[in-house]
Amino acid sequence: MPKDFTQLNYYEVLDIKPDAVAFEIRHAYNAALQVYQPGSLASYSFFPEDERQDILSLVETAYRTLISDQARKDYNEELIRRGELDVRKEATSTAKKPVSIFNISRNPVAKVALTNNETLKNKINQSQLIGDILAQNELCGADLKKIRTELGVLIEQIAQETKIRHDHLRSMEEDHVARLPAAVFLKGFVKSYLKCLCLEPVEALSTRYMDTVARLSQK
Amino acid sequence: MAYIWPIGGGKGGSGKSFLTSSLGRLSARLGKRTLVIDLDLGAANLHTLVGVPYPKKGFSDFIRKKTFRLEDTVVETPFENLFLISGAHDNFDVANLPYEQKIKTLRAIMKLDYDSVLLDLGAGTSFNTLDFFLISQHGIFITTPEPTSIENVYRLIRSIYFRRIRYCFNVTDFKALEDEVVIQFGDGSFNKPECMIKVIADVYPEKYEQLQDAFSAFRFKLIINQVRKHDNAALGMQMSRMLEKHLGLHIEFAGNVAYDDHVHDAICQRVSFLDRYPCTRTACDLHEVGKQIVQPGGQQLMFRYL
Ligand SMILES: Nc1ncnc2c1ncn2[C@@H]1O[C@H](COP(=O)(O)OP(=O)(O)O)[C@@H](O)[C@H]1O
Ligand SMILES: [Mg+2]
Repeated sequence: MPKDFTQLNYYEVLDIKPDAVAFEIRHAYNAALQVYQPGSLASYSFFPEDERQDILSLVETAYRTLISDQARKDYNEELIRRGELDVRKEATSTAKKPVSIFNISRNPVAKVALTNNETLKNKINQSQLIGDILAQNELCGADLKKIRTELGVLIEQIAQETKIRHDHLRSMEEDHVARLPAAVFLKGFVKSYLKCLCLEPVEALSTRYMDTVARLSQK
Repeated sequence: MAYIWPIGGGKGGSGKSFLTSSLGRLSARLGKRTLVIDLDLGAANLHTLVGVPYPKKGFSDFIRKKTFRLEDTVVETPFENLFLISGAHDNFDVANLPYEQKIKTLRAIMKLDYDSVLLDLGAGTSFNTLDFFLISQHGIFITTPEPTSIENVYRLIRSIYFRRIRYCFNVTDFKALEDEVVIQFGDGSFNKPECMIKVIADVYPEKYEQLQDAFSAFRFKLIINQVRKHDNAALGMQMSRMLEKHLGLHIEFAGNVAYDDHVHDAICQRVSFLDRYPCTRTACDLHEVGKQIVQPGGQQLMFRYL
């Protein structure tokens, strides 16, 4: 049977886990408002007005408390004292970070793991081949591969650095248009690839690549 | 034993009969022997929706003629595997069905030899309607996304909740319970089953256990019908969440069925909507909802009306 709504703790009020991150809290708050607001269809006739007001103010308090780091910490401690929250669960709340959907752009760029950035840049500046490729109006996957080989970077290294799946990288380098990921992803992928090899300017080059792919796929 | 799907909704015109006939069609099409029963006796029109404008016999024969068994009142429809017990020619309301007749009907329905039985229940919250709804734990609630319809469906859900509690008590105990609820929770609480269940938990712990088992066995579903483009598509999920959170009732949202003027056209031309307009959004929605009904999970438990 349901607990009395006013007896619920703030996490239960908002229907979130104790380790919810700010984004989830905000989302849950909006969802609760949609259900409990006076004009809402979903709760039409479900409560008397005064009960609805109580619920709404509870939702409000829950949100304000959980969204503020300090207030939330204090509240968690209170819950732990009341035995409603176990410590292990709470501990993970600091460890968990929001996971970005594209974990490509998250890591700034190739770090030492690959090769030294300076060394790469020098090579790029001195290579006739790379200079020629970058001077073209087009930039296809095969060009990327040529540059990579010229720089002596392995495809495995790129995969490791960018976290892009191997088969995606291979499809890109082989210009296997049918197997390429959707454009929104591809754009991110190629940017990471370019950054990984210290090829500049990333924005212009990635656009050039996307245009080339678009043309290829029309054939 | 047949799977029984009682279909109810708070309000006339929300689409109970249309959905009963459509879901019946879909089930029959998949080769299940399917029977639809019109129990909206005051406003029977299921026969028209399944292509039997003038049924030769129907539910009234079972009620009026002692020699008729319920299965003798079944008529065929133009659709393979789809059968009907019509409610036409009945000039009384299910609400007024005498107790013995109701029990006799409930028992007969449970014994029917079909794969699926769909009950088209009328609007309203008469005890008889509630009892028919509670015949299996697979009841389906229909509402449209309008406040009036939602108000009624919530009222129906609460009534069913109360009715199920009522099964556990005799008249005097139940009356005493009602009084106690009002004493503890105030005047407004008489229509709040969630208050009553709290009192039961205190006073009758063993009945409370029993009821918890009963409620967790329910596999009720909610369908939002006549959803228009600008309506909130999340309404069904939100209602389901409300019911779970505030009544402790798990009612699964089974899906939206889009509004389409072609429904009206099909009914006016007296053709099956699913046959005539198979590629509409509404037809797809019906298929989606239908899938959940054709492949039910778990075993069916039923009350014994002995
Ligand atoms: N999904 C829908 N789209 C458009 N109209 C609908 C839809 N469902 C039902 N209707 C309309 O609503 C009317 C009432 O439906 P009906 O099934 O008879 O309701 P009930 O049995 O709940 O009283 C139908 O005649 C039909 O025109
Ligand atoms: Mg009807």
